[in-house]
Amino acid sequence: MVHITINGKVVKATEGEMLLTVIKREGIDIPALCHHEAIEPTGNCRLCMVEITRAEWEGWKKHVTSCLYPVEDGLIVNTHTPEVIEIRKTILDLQLANCPNSEVIQKMAEEYGIYKTSYETVPEGDNCIMCYACTRICEVLGKSAISAVMRGHKKVIAPPFGEEPPDCIGCLACAQICPTNVIPWTDKDGTRTIWNKKFDLITCKECGKTIITKDFADYLMEQRDIPKEYFELCDDCKRMQTARKMGEIVTRAQEATL
Amino acid sequence: MKYQFEVIPSKCIGCRTCELACAFAHAKNQKPGKSRIYPLAYAPDKYVPVACLQCDDAACVKSCMFNALRRNEETGAVELDKERCVKCGACVAACPFGCALVDDVHDEIVKCDLCGGSPACAAFCPTKALVYKKV
Repeated sequence: MVHITINGKVVKATEGEMLLTVIKREGIDIPALCHHEAIEPTGNCRLCMVEITRAEWEGWKKHVTSCLYPVEDGLIVNTHTPEVIEIRKTILDLQLANCPNSEVIQKMAEEYGIYKTSYETVPEGDNCIMCYACTRICEVLGKSAISAVMRGHKKVIAPPFGEEPPDCIGCLACAQICPTNVIPWTDKDGTRTIWNKKFDLITCKECGKTIITKDFADYLMEQRDIPKEYFELCDDCKRMQTARKMGEIVTRAQEATL
Repeated sequence: MKYQFEVIPSKCIGCRTCELACAFAHAKNQKPGKSRIYPLAYAPDKYVPVACLQCDDAACVKSCMFNALRRNEETGAVELDKERCVKCGACVAACPFGCALVDDVHDEIVKCDLCGGSPACAAFCPTKALVYKKV
């Protein structure tokens, strides 16, 4: 257990935790786009910048990305100093130039008083901020179906050779984690399309509601030992089935006592 | 496990008070959440409240690829860590009892967490068909 000071308040934290996790737990609102607890932090969006200092530093301070900075005893953190706000404003200004159409970034920039970027906007921007959250989450799954291709300003997240990704299972983890919602996918007529790959969807045997893709179910069956019959019904029908089974047990118990 | 959540179907009258209590206990941003408990009729006028059974070898925990579902040793409930959840829906598909749900209003996956140790459904049940007691 270590003790750190955030905005003048002493808080407890566990060793090895990152600063951003502690700041969020304390209910302090600082912007972050690429942060998610399920993936390793990389500090790509740089919005979670905070100012740190220590009592023995004699007034020296530095700015760090809090998602990448492990907590240490005696650390003094300030999340909203004028310098930090200025840094965040610059980053948001640049992000707004990069993705002028992203609602998430527009909203964040508005909170910091930026309504229009002072830089030249990227023509035909696709709102991707290159935070790698999608590739990192795919790595956690053990699939790594997508990655960054090309270099410099041509860099994009794409499947290998721009073709259908052979390792993709259509779980939508990448689309769900994307902070700016740029990964398109559709569920239509029993087929899911993502990264230009088509997946067969499993539908509920009773009501026809779509559940997950066949490939995803296969993955869960093989890697996670989930029996095949668990994927036959949707959650509503499974609940009804549970009620019927429980009812049978109740009726049998009541008959036995009579 | 120090506590036990008991469901007595013979006492359930299907009034759905538990459903309301659950939705309001999990309200967020002035909107009620999705209920985690449902009194369902298995025969005319015969009801059984279906909620998460907090299985020992839980399929939802096994299916989660990001370790977002973990057991709270204090209450015995399998709790969902929203910070780690990616909303892929693996637990919803894997739960054999259909007790992991998608909350469309708040855009999140939800499951019964026994309200962290004092379930609202048990407190509000008028016929005491739901009991949360010490073992």
